[in-house]
Amino acid sequence: MSGTEQELARDLGFLEAYTIGLGTMIGAGIFVLPSIAAKAAGPAAMVSFALGGVVSLLAALSLSELATGMPKAGGSYYYVNRALGPFFGSIVGWGMWAGLTFASAFYMLGFGQYLLPLLTPHVDILAEMTGLGKTVAALGMAMLLTGVNYYGVKETGDLQNVIVITLVGLILAFLSLGLLSGPTIGEFNPEGWPAVAATVGTVYVSFIGFEVIATSAEEIKNPSRNLPLAMIAAVVTPTILYVGVMFISTGTIPLDILADSEVPVKIVAEDILPDFASLVPGVSPSLLASIGGTVMILGAVLATVSSANASILSAARVNFAMGRDQILVEWLNEVHNRFRTPYRAITVTGIITLVLIAIGVHIGTLAEVASFMYLVTYTLVHVAVVVLRRANPDAYEPTFQIPSVLYPVVPILGAAGCLGVLVQMSTNMVPYTIAVGSLSVTSPFQLTIVGMIGIVLIAFGIGWYYLYARDRAPSKSLVGDAIAPTPTAATDDDDIYRVVVSVANPDTERDLLRKAAASAHAHDGESEIVAVNVIEVPDQTSLAQDLTFEEERVDRQQELLGAARDVAVDLDVGLRTRAIVGRDAASAVLDVVGEENADQVLLGWTGKRSRREHVLGSTIDPIVGHASCDVTLVKRGPEPDECEDVMVLVGEGPHTPVAARRAAEYVAATERASLTLVNVQPPAEDEGDAAEPVEAGETLIEDLIEQVDLTETAYETRVVVDADTEEAIMDAAAAYDTICVGATRESAVSQALFGSLPEHLGTDLDRTVVVARGSERSPMSIQDALIKRLEG
Amino acid sequence: MPDSLTAHLVVPIADDEDARATAETLGAYEFGTVTAVHVVEKGGGTPDKIPLEQAEQRADEALGAFRDVLPDAETELTYDTDIVDGVFDVAADVSASAIAFRPRGGSRIAQFISGDTALTLVTESDRPVIALPEQPDE
Repeated sequence: MSGTEQELARDLGFLEAYTIGLGTMIGAGIFVLPSIAAKAAGPAAMVSFALGGVVSLLAALSLSELATGMPKAGGSYYYVNRALGPFFGSIVGWGMWAGLTFASAFYMLGFGQYLLPLLTPHVDILAEMTGLGKTVAALGMAMLLTGVNYYGVKETGDLQNVIVITLVGLILAFLSLGLLSGPTIGEFNPEGWPAVAATVGTVYVSFIGFEVIATSAEEIKNPSRNLPLAMIAAVVTPTILYVGVMFISTGTIPLDILADSEVPVKIVAEDILPDFASLVPGVSPSLLASIGGTVMILGAVLATVSSANASILSAARVNFAMGRDQILVEWLNEVHNRFRTPYRAITVTGIITLVLIAIGVHIGTLAEVASFMYLVTYTLVHVAVVVLRRANPDAYEPTFQIPSVLYPVVPILGAAGCLGVLVQMSTNMVPYTIAVGSLSVTSPFQLTIVGMIGIVLIAFGIGWYYLYARDRAPSKSLVGDAIAPTPTAATDDDDIYRVVVSVANPDTERDLLRKAAASAHAHDGESEIVAVNVIEVPDQTSLAQDLTFEEERVDRQQELLGAARDVAVDLDVGLRTRAIVGRDAASAVLDVVGEENADQVLLGWTGKRSRREHVLGSTIDPIVGHASCDVTLVKRGPEPDECEDVMVLVGEGPHTPVAARRAAEYVAATERASLTLVNVQPPAEDEGDAAEPVEAGETLIEDLIEQVDLTETAYETRVVVDADTEEAIMDAAAAYDTICVGATRESAVSQALFGSLPEHLGTDLDRTVVVARGSERSPMSIQDALIKRLEG
Repeated sequence: MPDSLTAHLVVPIADDEDARATAETLGAYEFGTVTAVHVVEKGGGTPDKIPLEQAEQRADEALGAFRDVLPDAETELTYDTDIVDGVFDVAADVSASAIAFRPRGGSRIAQFISGDTALTLVTESDRPVIALPEQPDE
């Protein structure tokens, strides 16, 4: 992907991300829950809402760090799977899916509850069957939303933003009018603090949804800043709104009436508005009341629909991520070839939601089970943050990190908070006695329905892991790394100069090893070569399975490495071999580079542009991008054994010195070799100052010689002046056998790692081309760091 | 002398099946250069329909499948909120002589819901458009 395409792929700014989070967060919760919460804890339920906000805020902080460190599809599920392995991954994956479907069902029932009062005054039949009517409405809307997502109706996306803005405006109006009408709170805490704590679980469903922002991390612009900001804002804003709504509701309507209503916000609005009738001429108080009530109903309808919509889409993404990691069947991830939607995942999610609505689970239970699953997920997310910080794998560099002053506190407190709410929700502190025959056991608590359902769902996730996922998903858990003590820096004292050579092609093997040996010999002190060959196994096949059936590839690997040993003997250099079977050649080589503490990694290059939109090959790019040591790419010319005349293209790029060093090493190792340093300059602007470019060129070359300390080697210098510098370079290069050039730029993604020149040299020149990159990397901007993240 | 109609064809492809079929149909004819294009559909302010990673995977498969049949083809991957606009932009970038694609049939409703891409490609193009038949000529 070129740099500009990268920009196109990211089209969500802060506002869009914030809106997505807000739209998913503000769902049925605030419209349905005030009554349930008031019943349970009275006005003190405000504190419950506030606590819920705190729990989510902590989770948002942890999630932000993970999301910027691992921007891949799947959100919380992916982070937990990566950090804690497929066992927990399975639990969280299923848990998230269950949470989303239960939440969708909850939103749809809320929709039904609010819709009926809208219609019943006008449609008498419906008034007769309120119970059934709600369910029918819920089912109907659920089917509609599933259909919308199935067919991928794009217009709903834009509608979503309008809905969110309308909702927030509505709630703010509600709050301001409510405040003006002077709410009075009676007894603040009628049920006591334990009830308040328990209510946190009940209302927690209003605080889920912000993590949807994380599932879209790949599409957010400047994610290191926007993602955490959007998530935090998407948690804080609703919290304030909810506390306000609770305050107004309990301050305006008597508790018992509030607790019994299915449309609490509507009746509060109807109570507040008549007082303002004097401000609006020509409108009677009762008309104003009913307008207000209707408006709130519309708000509830919009909120529930937008949240359910987002949940269904989110569920499909979790399925994709699970399928990609082999925890779930890939069958679900099929994309519809006409509608371009993950239609199977959407259909299944829709069906489950419909079933949940139809079997008549109580709306409160739906909310609580959804909360339960989410709390389990967040707990594991907090654990994942800690594990990843301790294990610190190479490819993980979150650009947003929980500030160190808050560090261990946030995940620990967050996890504790989540667990606390979970326990509260799942247990009743009522002693429970089981009697079997003459034995009786009394436990001090019993499980609530929510607790039971939740445990069943977790058990399902565990069961699924053992039956399906364990054999298929390679365990990449980092818990081991996290627990192991940090390795001491002793390995840095390793004085052996080590070159890792990736051998894959018997034709080029010898030549690559010769160059590696040249570098090795040029160093005083001990040196050795490590020859690596990787057998790549596709994701669908388990590693063990592949080895048995691919004897041919294994034999080939043995041959390659055996030949390497022979070559090493000829060249008089120490060699070790590493035979690897892995998923991805690039990562395997990078692992070897890290483990062996390599000083240089040498790769062969065909010189052709790979078909897969990568610049130089899917194996080469990551290695060049991530290797911390010197990197050398060698494209073999027609007569590799006669590399007598070596040219170094001297330029202003940061890696020319390394290229020169490599050239000097090769020349030193070959008899009758010559080294020429060439610089090409465009002609002077001024006609009269013809000597200027030549001087500039010579100065450049001299600086280089000093820098690299080439005093031991005999060399020639040459400055060519030509208007078409690139053509001149090609012409000059044709006179030599081997061309050494430095990589011109850093990132593989932004417009060709090596710039067009080395690539051009590689593809068009029929000589041996060596492209070198040094290990000093210039400090990278966050933008570039993220681009790098995306490659890997 | 004006350029041949098929001097440089831009061929939009949706997935690997489409790519294979289109490439096979094209393969029976003579043409100059061909550039296969896959447009990743973006939400533009809202999340995409499918995760970006999945979309890019599909793009890889589709473009790879096209090159399996026509190895000399060039490929382009682009992102746009509107698929047809994306194709037009690429065609303009490479100065294509014509756009060639395989319109997939279906009921009027299905076509309407999925965005009427075939119709828009044909009616709003600024260069010639060649509609390839569903079944390759035997």
